[in-house]
Amino acid sequence: MRAALALALAAGLLGAGQARPPAVVRVAAAADLKFALDEIAVRLSRRDPPIRVDATYGSSGSMHAQLRQRAPFDVYLSADIGYPRDLVARGIGSSRDLFTYATGRLVVWVPAGSTLPIERDGVRALEGARRIAIANPRHAPYGRAAEAVLRSAGLWAHVRPRLVMAENVAQAAQFGQSGAADAAIIARSLAVNPALRAGRLLDVDPGTHPPVIQGGLILPWTGSRAAAETFRDYLLSAEGRDLLAEYGFGPAGD
Amino acid sequence: MDWIAVGVTLKLAALTTAALAAIGLPLAYWLATTRRAWRPLVDAAVAVPLLLPPTVLGFYLLMSTGPDTLAGRVYARVAGGTLPFSFAGVWLASVLYNLPFAVRPFAAGFAAIDRRLLEAARCLGASPVRTFATVVLPLSWPAVLAGLVLAFAHTVGEFGVVLMVGGNIPGVTRTIALAIYDDVQALDYGAAHEASALLLVFAVCVLALTYTLQRRTPAV
Amino acid sequence: MLQVDFEFRYDRSGAATAAAPQTAPGVVCRWQDPAAEPRVTVLLGASGSGKTTVLRCLAGLERPQRGRIQFGGHVWFDASTGVHVPPHRRNVGVLFQDYALFPHLSVARNIAFGASEMSRTAAARRLEELIDVFRLRGLETRLPRALSGGQQQRVALARAVFRRPQLLLLDEPLSALDRPTRDEVREDLRLLIHELAIPAYLVSHDRVDALTLADRTIVLDDGRVVQAGPTQEVFDHPATAAAARLVGIDTILLGRITAVRDGLARIQVEGRDVWAEAPADAGHEAALCIRAEDVALARHEVIDSSAMNRWRAVVRSEAREGPFVRVALDCGFHLSALVTRDAWQRLGLKPGDEAWAVAKAASIRSLPRG
Repeated sequence: MRAALALALAAGLLGAGQARPPAVVRVAAAADLKFALDEIAVRLSRRDPPIRVDATYGSSGSMHAQLRQRAPFDVYLSADIGYPRDLVARGIGSSRDLFTYATGRLVVWVPAGSTLPIERDGVRALEGARRIAIANPRHAPYGRAAEAVLRSAGLWAHVRPRLVMAENVAQAAQFGQSGAADAAIIARSLAVNPALRAGRLLDVDPGTHPPVIQGGLILPWTGSRAAAETFRDYLLSAEGRDLLAEYGFGPAGD
Repeated sequence: MDWIAVGVTLKLAALTTAALAAIGLPLAYWLATTRRAWRPLVDAAVAVPLLLPPTVLGFYLLMSTGPDTLAGRVYARVAGGTLPFSFAGVWLASVLYNLPFAVRPFAAGFAAIDRRLLEAARCLGASPVRTFATVVLPLSWPAVLAGLVLAFAHTVGEFGVVLMVGGNIPGVTRTIALAIYDDVQALDYGAAHEASALLLVFAVCVLALTYTLQRRTPAV
Repeated sequence: MLQVDFEFRYDRSGAATAAAPQTAPGVVCRWQDPAAEPRVTVLLGASGSGKTTVLRCLAGLERPQRGRIQFGGHVWFDASTGVHVPPHRRNVGVLFQDYALFPHLSVARNIAFGASEMSRTAAARRLEELIDVFRLRGLETRLPRALSGGQQQRVALARAVFRRPQLLLLDEPLSALDRPTRDEVREDLRLLIHELAIPAYLVSHDRVDALTLADRTIVLDDGRVVQAGPTQEVFDHPATAAAARLVGIDTILLGRITAVRDGLARIQVEGRDVWAEAPADAGHEAALCIRAEDVALARHEVIDSSAMNRWRAVVRSEAREGPFVRVALDCGFHLSALVTRDAWQRLGLKPGDEAWAVAKAASIRSLPRG
């Protein structure tokens, strides 16, 4: 009994000597940030003092709806700066805490064995696809961009009945990868995932859709403002920008 | 394997089952023994979640307990924080959604008891509470247990309500079902397989237990 | 002791009652039982007569729509003040028709179920006392399903009296038993109730129960009290045809009064004359009650006897009843006679033979029609 007490005391003292538990930043993140943000989280946890990033992913629009209901997140990373701007306009958050962190890029993705000639015909090759997965344009910025791309190629009316609308762009990627759809128009940042590397990519010409300006907001009710600001600063730092570029994002302000 | 999500799930299921025992047993007893004319209305109200898509319940809960509503403001004053996207909010949603899965088996068990036994107990001086504890419960425990087990298992499998009301916040409202959804979206099929297999085994065990219980009848 | 004056309607919404208040199905009863010493009263009626409903209202299991029930100084129910004492607060012992023993509790725990307000020692003592009185020694740990019908009834009765109730209510206590057991248990019951010395109300459709167990009889027909009084009197002088049927009058005839002289009436039934005491308010019609044991048989017409009623009859059938023979006769109307076997053999009659039926006017009860 006494030995156990001594052990507990020692453990307690040891613990006190170590660094305090890491500050936590809760991020409501757009789905296209999945893999990039995971990497950022790893890097931030190795810092001194460490920061733990808890991310929840979803379409930017559904995140926006939750934040209007004061969902308890610290930082909002949207794929479309329009959403955080709307929050500020509604009195949620200040424009000082608004920032742009990247420009989104689109790709057309097909499985390796697909017969669709995207390398030869570009986007127009999708005319022959049986089912095309995109994020739902109603609440996902990448979905709206995908729609714009299809309209530019003059295919929208033609392929519309064959579209599979995913809840967010990550689910669109999953539909493509699992074979539920023959092709998917998704974020370039998702195509880096090993599971999707076994496929063929076509970069979409940014001129064929309105720019995907990815913006964020530090939420006014955050309980860890210092950590949230550190997180934002990292995203905007040189290291952060390089990382995002690695994951297929264009630079902010592009 | 996301053990944190498993922990959240078990905590939610346990607390939901406890709340359903506290609310559901008296409610079911009333339903089984009352002769008031408006009993069918209450019966129907309890059964509504069986027919509603979980998203409907989630939607209405979000709208009625958000920070701008009366309920939301009261909760904020008392507990500090919002009901949506909190564990408490998901717990509330879960209790409402699972009400029929507990109350209906309870009520069926109570109703199967010969009414004369209850009357005999009353005539022997037992208050309604004592009658419930000493006559009704001992004679209907398999049904009560089946209801509790069913409610627990159904909570473990909840998805739509938790997603709409909970916000999928790790460690707080991300249950194992939501974690599987996330894993699939992240193309992490290995993790999805693991968690799904666990839930499948759990479901089979629960069903086996429930059917065994239902075949057992107390001494009659 | 017990004052009862209430009305209970089966139709809960009240619509049928409002439409036809007098005839809506239900129970309307009023009686007083002022006796100081404990008595057994039987509520006698056919099934559907509402007798169980009356018992349930006395127990507090049903709530009448109108009226008042008072026992001793306690008002148990009063519609005008909204008082309705629930069953667990009236100190009433109830014996249910199929005993309603708790199947998951042993005999001892069943009996002592009402012990919640007693001290542990008092309860234990009472239990021992009752186990002796009801002869249940050795059965204390058995479950109800392992008991015989008679044993179950004793356990149920012991349970009902455990708390020393002021009133005992028994709902058809013998109908769950088969005939041979019934006679044996009935005697048992009679002794037990007598020994307990608690006022008791017993519901039954069997006139033998009434005759054997009850000091007072209340006859119920279609939800209404048609007669109340000492058992012997009710049986000897049923007030209405309905009561007569229930107390087991063998022959009830309907006829037209054709003459009344000095209180004696001549009533015509199917063309034959019957002489009987004129009914109280003699209208044009009467119902006649003739008990089989009051009918004598002869081979030839007996002219100089005092009996005023002599009818020629044909024997239709005979049936043995212990030392007697019940004979069905056709006198133009159906008549039942009960004679000894010896007499029957002496007469040497058989079905199809002609005979004379004789009945004294004084033994025939005539009732106003209805």
